[in-house]
Amino acid sequence: MSRLKLHHLGIDLPLLPTTSVGSFPKPDYLVKARADFTQAKTGAEDLKEAEKRATEFWLRKQEELGVDVLVDGEMYRGDMVAYFADRLSGFEQGGLVRSYGNRYYRKPVIVDQVKWKGPITVEWWRYAQGLTSKPVKGIVTGAYTLMDWSFNEFYPTRRDACMALAGEVRKEVETLVQAGCKIIQIDEPAISVRPEELPLAIEAMRVTTQNLEAYFVTHVCYGDFESIYPAMLDLAVDNFDLEMSNSGLDMLQLFKKKPFTKDISYGVVDVHSHAPEDRRTVEERLNKGLGILPRESVWVDPDCGLKTRTVDEAIAKLKTVVSVARTFRGA
Amino acid sequence: MELLTLNHGSYPRIGSTPDQHLLRRTLAQRDRGEKTDADVRAAEDHMVLLALEEQQEAGIDIVTDGLIRWDDPISHLVGKLEGVRIDGLLRFFDTNFYFRQPIVDGMIKHSQPLIVDEFHWAAQKSRQPVKPVLTGPYTLTRLSLLNGEARSMHSVMMSFAEALGREVAELAAAGASLIQIDEPAVVKYPDGLRLASEALSQIAAHKGPAKVALALYFGDAAPFYATLQDLPFDILILDFTYSPTLPDVIEANGSVKPLGFGLLDGRNTRLEDQVTVKRQLERMLQHVKPECSYLTTSCGLEYLPRDRARLKLTHLTSIKRSFLGEAP
Repeated sequence: MSRLKLHHLGIDLPLLPTTSVGSFPKPDYLVKARADFTQAKTGAEDLKEAEKRATEFWLRKQEELGVDVLVDGEMYRGDMVAYFADRLSGFEQGGLVRSYGNRYYRKPVIVDQVKWKGPITVEWWRYAQGLTSKPVKGIVTGAYTLMDWSFNEFYPTRRDACMALAGEVRKEVETLVQAGCKIIQIDEPAISVRPEELPLAIEAMRVTTQNLEAYFVTHVCYGDFESIYPAMLDLAVDNFDLEMSNSGLDMLQLFKKKPFTKDISYGVVDVHSHAPEDRRTVEERLNKGLGILPRESVWVDPDCGLKTRTVDEAIAKLKTVVSVARTFRGA
Repeated sequence: MELLTLNHGSYPRIGSTPDQHLLRRTLAQRDRGEKTDADVRAAEDHMVLLALEEQQEAGIDIVTDGLIRWDDPISHLVGKLEGVRIDGLLRFFDTNFYFRQPIVDGMIKHSQPLIVDEFHWAAQKSRQPVKPVLTGPYTLTRLSLLNGEARSMHSVMMSFAEALGREVAELAAAGASLIQIDEPAVVKYPDGLRLASEALSQIAAHKGPAKVALALYFGDAAPFYATLQDLPFDILILDFTYSPTLPDVIEANGSVKPLGFGLLDGRNTRLEDQVTVKRQLERMLQHVKPECSYLTTSCGLEYLPRDRARLKLTHLTSIKRSFLGEAP
């Protein structure tokens, strides 16, 4: 199945390959550089240097830990929707809205026809891939999430906005493929919350990935999976990256009833806890998954992006992921 | 005929000016040990006053305190009850807003006021009537994790209802003339409507002289609209943004209860066309028996940036005045 597709793409991965969802914490010097840039104390070049330095740090760290499919860590991104909205035409930066407690983000507003103006992530993917011989995932935010997490003042309906975005996101994906990226992740965390709109999300994903020569992953998290499974398997991707641990492996019960038919990036560490999980807990989580899922189709990773953890916490969690996966390979 | 404008519930607790960042700044400073809980309380007071002022300036008839002091609609209430502890983050329905999930592992008990003090403070400062808002027992139960042996959803919900009933009684005693119970879970999980009805009846029994409004949002109420008419509530507030057929259903079935028309989208910045909203109102009001109706947004306004939330409130007033033929 998908392993064969990877082979055709020139990528041969070990059993239970390890990866990450995308984001890593920004080192202190980068946090400072971003703040300095926002306050106009430094220029764009200084910020970019800090971003490149941090990207290299995470690439080296992943290699050192033995991760199989690497990510660039998204050192140059803030919010996953605003980053793309800022670089597509048709969006305006919105005001602050609360996500939880004392946390706020700027929610973009669609005010005109959305349009891809040129490569958004490709330069960073090239930079990261140039630092390693291991495959680096290209990561873009999907059309459905871009639509759902933006205000829409232009398109008559949510569907119109979503489908317009799908065509533009595809252009970014095509550019990644042309640049040589073989594994591309389309982040769609919003897909799981409006089950009635799953057909729209499926249609948008088809527009985004159809007939492109790459192995596609989608990351979906924090939602009502019971109401979208197994229909979600129709999303035009090869691999679902799912947060299994935060929800107490609930989804395994669904997979027992209806087999999971695609590859899965199986989250074995919770990204919201500060303390690294003890090894036995992670082993138990993976063991339970392997009791239900075909071993050949399982990748191992954290539940979600690690950007809210400290650098040390993120490294500790990744280390456990890699170490446990390796143990199971030999089992 | 009377048409009153309601602020649905929440209001942004941040904005674009330094003054509107006071609470955010103070909370961050408190977390770093630079400010105290009393400083946070003062910042909350300040933001409640701003919210009240902006609602009054927009001409809203019945205001709220903006739920400014709430971390989220669940843990702010449940965190003050005995028998419940607050755990990890979960997404609040289909929004990009998160709440902390309660874990029920003991006997639920109301041992301190949940929002009476907050209501009292806002009511003293407001020129307009203040409407306190509580999240209902069905929503609290559906979003909680139930632990322990033989603990059924029904028993937990009835315990929440008992606690909320007590709070409703205290709010009524403190002078609240209209109390709103939010039950988004009813439209998301309508299979539990009968269970919810029993718990809601228990709350309504405590209302005394106050009127109680049931607010349903984030889902389509049309399929069970007739059942909602039988619930023991004085006012029914509905979200029209999920429901293309709701105006038809109301036109066909009428209403014996006063309705709150959530016709302005509380989750999108686009301002609705006035003529379209007035036409919808006119069509439905012909079939509503009570003399007094309410115009509001589909849900609370904290999903919008502050300037847009304020515009929605102004828009409510403008539509109301135009509808009633009053001077703008």
